[in-house]
Amino acid sequence: MTSMYLDLIRIRFLMMLAYRVNYYSGIVIYAVNIGAYFFFWHAIYGDQEAIRGFTLAQMTTYVAVTWMARAFYFNNLDREIANEVRDGSVAIQFIRPYNYLLVKLFQGFGEGLFRLLLFMTPGLVVVCLIFPIELPRDPAVWLLYAVMLVFSFIINAELNLLTGMGAFYIENVDGLLRMKRVFIDLFSGVLVPIALFPGWLAALSEWLPFQAIAYLPSAVFTGRSTGDEALAAIGLQAAWAVVLIIPIMLMWRAARKRLFVQGG
Amino acid sequence: MMFYLGLMWEYFKNYAKTRLTYRADFWIEVVSDLAFQAINLIVILIAFRHTPTLGGWTEAEVVFVFGYFMVPYGIFSCFFDLWNFSERYIVKGEMDRVLTRPAHNLFQILLENMYPPGLIGSFVGLVIMAVTARQMGMTFDWTDLVMLLVLTAGAVMVYFGLYTALTAIGFFTDAPTGILPLMFNLQSYGRYPVTIYNRTMRFVLTWLLPFAFVGVYPASYFLERSGAADLRMALLTPAVGLVFTAIGLVVWNIGVKRYRGAGS
Amino acid sequence: MQPAIEVHELRKTFKVQRNREGLAGALRDLFRREYVEVTAVKDISFTIPQGEICGYIGENGAGKSTTIKMLAGILVPTSGTVRVAGYVPWRERERFVRNIGVVFGQRSQLWWDIGVIESFRLLRKVYRVPMADYRRRLDELVERLQLGDLLNRPVRKLSLGQRMRCELVASLLHNPSILFLDEPTIGLDIVVKTEIREFLIRLNREHGTTILLTTHDLQDIEALCSRVIMLDDGRIIYDGGLDELKTRWSRGREIRLQFGEQVALERLERLTADLPGASWQAGRDMTAVLRVPADVNLSDALARVVGSGVDIRDIKFMETSTDEIVREIYKSGSASGAERLVGAT
Repeated sequence: MTSMYLDLIRIRFLMMLAYRVNYYSGIVIYAVNIGAYFFFWHAIYGDQEAIRGFTLAQMTTYVAVTWMARAFYFNNLDREIANEVRDGSVAIQFIRPYNYLLVKLFQGFGEGLFRLLLFMTPGLVVVCLIFPIELPRDPAVWLLYAVMLVFSFIINAELNLLTGMGAFYIENVDGLLRMKRVFIDLFSGVLVPIALFPGWLAALSEWLPFQAIAYLPSAVFTGRSTGDEALAAIGLQAAWAVVLIIPIMLMWRAARKRLFVQGG
Repeated sequence: MMFYLGLMWEYFKNYAKTRLTYRADFWIEVVSDLAFQAINLIVILIAFRHTPTLGGWTEAEVVFVFGYFMVPYGIFSCFFDLWNFSERYIVKGEMDRVLTRPAHNLFQILLENMYPPGLIGSFVGLVIMAVTARQMGMTFDWTDLVMLLVLTAGAVMVYFGLYTALTAIGFFTDAPTGILPLMFNLQSYGRYPVTIYNRTMRFVLTWLLPFAFVGVYPASYFLERSGAADLRMALLTPAVGLVFTAIGLVVWNIGVKRYRGAGS
Repeated sequence: MQPAIEVHELRKTFKVQRNREGLAGALRDLFRREYVEVTAVKDISFTIPQGEICGYIGENGAGKSTTIKMLAGILVPTSGTVRVAGYVPWRERERFVRNIGVVFGQRSQLWWDIGVIESFRLLRKVYRVPMADYRRRLDELVERLQLGDLLNRPVRKLSLGQRMRCELVASLLHNPSILFLDEPTIGLDIVVKTEIREFLIRLNREHGTTILLTTHDLQDIEALCSRVIMLDDGRIIYDGGLDELKTRWSRGREIRLQFGEQVALERLERLTADLPGASWQAGRDMTAVLRVPADVNLSDALARVVGSGVDIRDIKFMETSTDEIVREIYKSGSASGAERLVGAT
């Protein structure tokens, strides 16, 4: 059983390799993206030393590392699930001797591994060469960050599973998925660090799972959260990763019932 | 020409009939389109809470440019956005059908992918322009209206040429390249004042992927702050549009030639 | 009268990308790809006169679709010449395609979510068919294919058979003189298949429409085609009438006999010993099969058995089916058979 899931990771990894052009262009364009935000923040800072405790150097590092993290955790599981629900092939998955959601998750892992090794890592190197980025010197921070990155992946994948299953209830979920994507980019702190949000928006974000995807790990990486605060951030990530399993299970059960009763 | 206008109307009618069967989807699409723009506007608004000016531009000016940006973008997404081309026409083979029909192939494909809700974004953009223009006490006369049409036409042609060329990549590789979705990120930087970027970035946005010509350059024609240099760039918009349209059509035709096995 | 389709020394070569195996291979593919040239159609020539129904058969990958795509103006030949309806298909594509109709059995040309009639209206505009002609044509086709109450139904709610009939209408609205059908009966039940065949025969008879169809269903060929072109590995291995194909390749006829008693095989063989090429094969439950070559008179063979006094309960005559013949041809390998078969017309 375990070997099957490992094989899923391997196969997806190979599949991703086949689409090489994706990643040449991907690294370039992510770098341009980072560049654009770098200049954008540069202009906003003007003569200011720091905004809400973020120095410009920290902000630059934040932008770079957050985008590169996004290159890692991002995947299309939601769309894949929605497509399989729509064209009916999900029904076949029910009769297979495995858990469909776990299969999807492991496929996501395969993709994530690929993205980590061939996208995020070289991307980060490229970005470090171009922009004035301050990497943390303490190895403990790197370790913490690595753990948080895994949680980022899990939480984002969980949200993708959850929204992908929306296709069981809405005939055309593409619009909703697109909307979810931009909301996540905003509320996870990819576009603007949550610390810069106006008070009420920041307060709202703290109660949503999205900040655990990008903002929390990047805050640790840039040295904004340290010590206990960093550990608390990991705790929060872990909590969300566990809590999100509940709606997934509920939705999955309801979807199955729906499929069996209505015949898809 | 009349033939193609007639066809456009027919395709529009079929689109409308399709959408009437899925009314809820239509609104989801509209809302998700606008949500995407709204998030970007929120980023601008958040940024201006931490700075009075962005590279010397006031909030109203930047938001005005943002509004202008939405106008050609809406027209583009209505008529020229072929994000699904590779999947639908190359992988699934619908290109064969297109080539057995007596009308220009690109035109047929554009019409089949027409997306009228995109135009709603254009109207919202016009509203944003009007609101900010009033804030700034700008005056409009009929020459401005003519210029708005001319500059918008130029901007739309930039979009058309660039995206047609990029879409034509589908003829050369059937693997998803990921260039189109990422280009989507990139184009949004054309709506910030280009003066905030460094020279390389400005060069890219002006001459290589001239997204500055779909936003800040033409929009600056209407702003009081603009000097002679700004006006020159604004007036260059139609010319850049023509050049890129020509490039787009040439690349497209090379692609079709290759598809039919005449080139390479 | 100029022929409907004229093909001379037609060749098509594709560049196909080769994926290397395994993880290391995939990594190497990441940087440099390998290409292999594949020749799908190898210098074929044939002529189809106007008003003919011609079957174009071959195994998967034999080059059928590639040929059809070149004839329909979708692909440009690597070398050789094609003339269809007087046009070079790929050169004046937009003008040319108004003379042809194309149905790809596995792909729809209809708008998925709305009534079929809307797709037809759109096609009328695309092909610039005058309203009066369109009306007349649509009425005729709708009546022939019994589509009356389907016209307002969205395509996604049609059965495969209904959809295929609509696809036919869609490809015929502009009254093309040549119709290309790629697997038109694939996946359909026998009733619909028969209806479609009858429709095509009538269309051919009344409008003189030239039809070229590819199919895996040889019953399509038997029901429709006066001529077959058989393709194997990009080459034509047979071009000629269906009857000739049968006589040439048929292993003769078979007579299946059911006896009332146990009859020894030697005894039967002795009975027909003077008939050249006749052979016996014993079956189960007191049956035997007598195989007679095409040049031996059947009644001669039968007389020898019946007159011998063996107790015969039942006699069945059987002819080799086209299916078997075709299978036989592919099995025997094309190269040697090719010389024997081409030029049979």
